Amino acid sequence: MYEIRFHGRGGQGGRMAAEAYALAAFLEGKYAVSFPIFGAERRGAPVKAFTRVDDKKIRIKTQIYQPDYVVVLDETLIETEDVLEGLKEDGMVIINTPKKPEEVELSKPVKCATVDATSIALEILGRPITNTAILGAIAKATGKVSIESIEKAIIEKFGARLGKEAGEKNALAARTAYEKTLVGVAKGGKEFKPRKKWLPTVEEMPIGGAIATMQTEAGLVGIGSFIENKTGDWRTFKPIINKEKCIGCKLCWFYCPEGCISMQDGKATVNYDYCKGCGICANECPTKAIKMEREVRA
Amino acid sequence: MNIKDLPDEDYFTPGHTACAGCAAPAIVRNMMKIFGKDTIVYTPANCLLVFSGTYPHLAWKVPYLHEAFENTGACISGIARAYKKKGRKVIALGIAGDGGTYDIGIQALSGAAERNEDAIYVCYDNEAYMNTGIQRSGATPYGAATTTTPAGKKILGKLEHKKDMAEIMRAHEIPYVATLSISHPKDFLEKVKKAKETEGFRYLHVLSPCPTGWRFDPSKTIEIARKAVDSGMWTLYEAEYGEITKIYKPKKKIPVAEYIKGQGRFRHFTEEMIEELQRWVDRKWKRLYGEEP
Ligand SMILES: Cc1ncc(C[n+]2csc(CCOP(=O)(O)OP(=O)(O)O)c2C)c(N)n1
Ligand code: SF4
Ligand code: SF4
Ligand code: SF4
Ligand SMILES: [Mg+2]
Repeated sequence: MYEIRFHGRGGQGGRMAAEAYALAAFLEGKYAVSFPIFGAERRGAPVKAFTRVDDKKIRIKTQIYQPDYVVVLDETLIETEDVLEGLKEDGMVIINTPKKPEEVELSKPVKCATVDATSIALEILGRPITNTAILGAIAKATGKVSIESIEKAIIEKFGARLGKEAGEKNALAARTAYEKTLVGVAKGGKEFKPRKKWLPTVEEMPIGGAIATMQTEAGLVGIGSFIENKTGDWRTFKPIINKEKCIGCKLCWFYCPEGCISMQDGKATVNYDYCKGCGICANECPTKAIKMEREVRA
Repeated sequence: MNIKDLPDEDYFTPGHTACAGCAAPAIVRNMMKIFGKDTIVYTPANCLLVFSGTYPHLAWKVPYLHEAFENTGACISGIARAYKKKGRKVIALGIAGDGGTYDIGIQALSGAAERNEDAIYVCYDNEAYMNTGIQRSGATPYGAATTTTPAGKKILGKLEHKKDMAEIMRAHEIPYVATLSISHPKDFLEKVKKAKETEGFRYLHVLSPCPTGWRFDPSKTIEIARKAVDSGMWTLYEAEYGEITKIYKPKKKIPVAEYIKGQGRFRHFTEEMIEELQRWVDRKWKRLYGEEP
């Protein structure tokens, strides 16, 4: 048996990737199961999905804690958490990034495959949905399933939901990624501080769970404490404001769901710590002063 | 009242975890700019609770409570009465989704309205149970695909039309009922301000486009809200003690076909379905504006 853990963000289709991979393995006569982990996650928040493949029936129903392969659909996730957690000794990580495997920095040196799935998806599908492109990269990097089975699974699974043409385009995205995937070894040494949680004892727990704003070892909790949650890394596109064109009408300031636009000297300014890159401001600006550009992360 | 009259001060912070492009955070943030700091917010189970009140974290800078799904009307009644007893002037504000309003919360809401409790009830209407993964509600429009009314071989989306909740509330003859859209800032803000200044039970109903559940590009949220108004799928008016006192009429009515374009939940629509939806809109239009569309 081998196990794959997918790391993505809600809405990127990690769950569909896990399902399509299982279908591809099934088409080759294997037993396969896949499932996502459910939580309160919204589109953009980190999520996980799992796939198990075996030659015999699979009876384990648990989450995957010691995967053979880790697949990362969103590059920003390798900055905030140790995606290698629990990865088997000779395991491998497959990452969506424009970087070469040797340029990727993780908690330890590991076998690593990279592909710029976002660019492939934008080019072929016109949307930054990378879940099909990444499947091609897995086929190439692991050799566990053929690219033909991946294509078939995508056409069956995505075609059923999005129509035949979309199914074929997604298969093409996988094939393109398959051809462009690089395999190598990632750098180690990156340190991750385990994120602390606020876990009061029964005695410490306020009556009715009522909490005022307070500092804890896990950071701020209570009223207004979400301000410490930086949502800027959810973004694929970033709004750039042309101050010359901005007439200070404040429409973007009003409409921004994140409330992360402020007015400085009568001109709109974005706080990128929180901007999720929805593009509403650019769509609504009456003078077209805002352009959405692909986010490039250092 | 217009955008430029709004204070900079926010009582709803960034860092919340709503989907990119969700209308709900923009709706509540701008409402809170007017309601101000002496407000106590209650929400039942819904997306808003989950993305802005994920215990122990809160995006609210005012006292905030959560209780069960079905009793927003009862909870804000209790808050309003407790503070009255204490002699303190606060706004008891309940914000519920369409599921929490049209369906499961309607008894507590109707009771609070009938007793004319001194509270404000906001329904942010994203036309389905979104928090649990897009199930149909009484607010889901005709033909829309949800996970419980899928577009498949047996049926093509929801079979029934949307229930007119604002009219049910108007029939309670409460001091103030208004329908709002975030795409019309001036109208939106004036209604929020009027609600704040009115005493007794006030009901605000705002359309809240949901890119995830309606399946559209998140940059189009406001555009879609605007098209909802321009097509008559969503109508803007206000009523005092049951009498309609103000109606907003779009300059040019657009066909519903233009509204549903670009929303994945309507992707399977046939010509007959478009006609059925258009007939519903035209009936509503005639009732409100008293003239043929
Ligand atoms: C009594 C009860 N039934 C069901 C649920 C599960 N539940 C939580 S949120 C939710 C959907 C809420 O839908 P809506 O009120 O429309 O708000 P939205 O999430 O769409 O914003 C449901 C069904 C619950 N919490 N309590
Ligand atoms: S909408 Fe455009 S013109 Fe108006 S404040 Fe924003 S950037 Fe400036
Ligand atoms: S892209 Fe969206 S989140 Fe970012 S500033 Fe514009 S409206 Fe706000
Ligand atoms: S599912 Fe819809 S309503 Fe819920 S947070 Fe996402 S966009 Fe907003
Ligand atoms: Mg809803």
